[in-house]
Amino acid sequence: MNIDRRKFLQKGLAVGATVTFLASAKLLGEDTAKSATGDKVPAKNPDLGAGDKKSVLVAVRDGDRVTMLNRAMDALGGMGVFVKKGQTVLIKPNAGWDVTPECAANTHPDIVGQLVKLCFLAGAKEVKIFDHTCDNWQRAYANSGIEKAARDAGATLVNGNDESMYHEVEIPGAVKLKKTRVHELVMKCDVFINAPVLKHHGGATMTSCMKNLMGCTWDRGFYHQNDLHQCIADFLLYKKPALNIVDAYHPMVRNGPRGKGVEDVVEMKTLLASTDIVVADAAAAKLLGHKPEAIRHVSIASAMGLGSMDLENIAIQRIKIA
Amino acid sequence: MALVFFVGLTLSFVDFRGWMPTGWVHALAGWQFVPAAVLLSTGVLSLALVGMVLLTFLLGRVYCSTLCPLGVYQDIVARIADRFRPKKLLLRFAQPHSRIRYGFLGITLVGIAVGAAGFSLALLDPYSNYGRIASSLFRPLGILINNGVATVGNSMGTYAIYHVTPSWAPWAALLLPIIMLLIVTVMAATRGRLYCNTICPVGTFLGGIARFSLFRLEIKPTDCHKCAACIRHCKAQCIDLRAGQVDFSRCVGCMNCIDACDRQAMRLVFKGTKVQRHKGTKWADVRRQKEEGSNATPAQPANPQRRAFLTSSTTGLIGLTGSLLVPKALRAEPTNPSSGSTTLPASEVVCPPGAVSKVRFLDTCTSCQLCISICPTHVIEPAFLEYGVQGLMKPRLNFSRSFCNFECKRCTEVCPDGALLPLTLADKKLTSIGVAHLDQSLCIVEKNGTDCAACSEHCPTKAVDTIPFRDGLFLPKVDESLCIGCGACEYACPAKPKAIIVTGSSTHGRARIKVEQKAVNPTEGDDFPF
Repeated sequence: MNIDRRKFLQKGLAVGATVTFLASAKLLGEDTAKSATGDKVPAKNPDLGAGDKKSVLVAVRDGDRVTMLNRAMDALGGMGVFVKKGQTVLIKPNAGWDVTPECAANTHPDIVGQLVKLCFLAGAKEVKIFDHTCDNWQRAYANSGIEKAARDAGATLVNGNDESMYHEVEIPGAVKLKKTRVHELVMKCDVFINAPVLKHHGGATMTSCMKNLMGCTWDRGFYHQNDLHQCIADFLLYKKPALNIVDAYHPMVRNGPRGKGVEDVVEMKTLLASTDIVVADAAAAKLLGHKPEAIRHVSIASAMGLGSMDLENIAIQRIKIA
Repeated sequence: MALVFFVGLTLSFVDFRGWMPTGWVHALAGWQFVPAAVLLSTGVLSLALVGMVLLTFLLGRVYCSTLCPLGVYQDIVARIADRFRPKKLLLRFAQPHSRIRYGFLGITLVGIAVGAAGFSLALLDPYSNYGRIASSLFRPLGILINNGVATVGNSMGTYAIYHVTPSWAPWAALLLPIIMLLIVTVMAATRGRLYCNTICPVGTFLGGIARFSLFRLEIKPTDCHKCAACIRHCKAQCIDLRAGQVDFSRCVGCMNCIDACDRQAMRLVFKGTKVQRHKGTKWADVRRQKEEGSNATPAQPANPQRRAFLTSSTTGLIGLTGSLLVPKALRAEPTNPSSGSTTLPASEVVCPPGAVSKVRFLDTCTSCQLCISICPTHVIEPAFLEYGVQGLMKPRLNFSRSFCNFECKRCTEVCPDGALLPLTLADKKLTSIGVAHLDQSLCIVEKNGTDCAACSEHCPTKAVDTIPFRDGLFLPKVDESLCIGCGACEYACPAKPKAIIVTGSSTHGRARIKVEQKAVNPTEGDDFPF
């Protein structure tokens, strides 16, 4: 007999303790790593609008989607301004509906695909994409064309309808949306890029950048129950995207946000890009023929100081490709 | 072959990632006896039904050994159970429980007779029973395992395996599958295919045909040494070595006995039109015949089994005729619980698209739950008493859990009974399975004075649109003629209680299409509007 009972127990306990210690150390290590990257986010991604006196808006028209996006990004100094080497990127398109790209209820796959490519060119470590969809998420991802475009470009698609991935956050200063459950990718990513499609909306009049962020939260019913526009604006207190790209190539101008078909869509061949989400939405409202202040969540957000809807006092770069 | 059908059908029911093509699912389920027979009652004679009947007439109950998933499940259980025994279970020959088996067949046929075909078949069809077990028990189990793997995967940074919300059936609708699973499992573990030969009406019915099969098993008395190897491999306790006979009405056609017999005494023999008599020729008679070289057959006593089979078959035939005459008024109508003080109508059960009408649906659906399993949004669930007792476990749409996807028609593609007729996508998009009703006083816009329109937002046909309301708000408005009853509005409505609900139509209608001119650009011109 090599080992007596006492030795066996001693060894067993020692091994057990070591494993437990290592495991907890690993957990702790991960936690600290997470919070460290979380803290560094603002430093790594200087908000162009915040530092300058004026917010910046780039508006491009009359090109194809990829060309317009490339020109807009060049005007903003390139994707490298936003995405640094080794960072994790989250792109939040509107992929809420099980309809084909020409119906324009979702962000066009060309835009999503090109954004992914630009992020990787800028050195992104990984690019993830999700939306908390209204229709069945697998069908919406597939039939919007976003799944294929994003995968081909190397991005990872994540289930946005998995409740276990949403975690509660407090939003200090919010008027209505004092706490909500946010998708963990929004919480964890280094760079957050918002890429909505511009549409009419039966309830919110217009859906663009700010409304698109509703798809980052789990309980949309809460928004609807507690002053939709105020909640949409409140969310910005939690997190503002580093970059907003509005796909206004062929906006849906009625029967939104789902639409009935291609007859609801008009050709506008426009793309907006801004670091200021309220600026982007104010310009988007104008594209649909609204005064920015007529869209209540835009005026609320502007009044709360979350961005500017005063397009007169904003540096706008207008690019026409023809 | 057995594994192809068993695994294929099990995957069809468990597949929670939508991998199984609906064409395959439909084809596999089409080779099930009761669905194919029910399909015949809707006026469609499937090749599969002809095939299955001919096969039985040729070789006996091959359906039971290869096609029936509940049958193969029992074989698997029996095999596993044997693993846990020190010695393989020897199932000796047993007398048939004819009263019980013809009783169950009779009950089923009487059910058909009194116009409750959908109910009696739904309860006892082996395929439908397996479907319910697989769909409401195996499937959630598979999902739970998947979710365990997904949790580990996600924590390691891979999202290829994702969480799936288990779509549990309402507890009351779970009871029957659980009970059936227990009964079948216990019977299979202890007595082989006893279930198939006592309870299953399809087994008994096909057994009746098998008695006339052209090829039947026969023991060649001169070659048989009564080693009982065949009995050890028989699932059905139907080999009577003492009499030197095989009760072919109870033989499930696995043919294991042929392989087991090393003297080739057990053979599949062409019997022509001679009907099997169980208590006729005895081993001793054969020997005597051989010894005497006599050709004389012994006297044939009256056959109680054939009599019972003929009686119940006749009842069934009369029943089938009768069912056409029974007034529909006799059928169960669900009771509507009153919905309190709102102006909304009482909720009325909604059946899936392709059902045509509730009465037709209840008559033809055997509640196998294939449509429930295949539905990508899980809006379809087994009913408890929403349809009345007759509609126990039949699929219904529950808009509190989800809504019917506008671009999908999978349920209509898989139904093997013809209870849901196949629809083109264009037709499905216009098939009105119910109608939305709005109670403005409950609506967020009226109640809170804030914008909402979650209902209109989700509406694919714009039956629910918004109109300008006080203070620049937008109020939902329903145009019933455009509504297809998909339930998206009801599901999305955040008001408590719901301000908009969909009531099922007892006969499905056809919605109007809202035709609109091409939209115009609100900011026409060559320049930016800012």
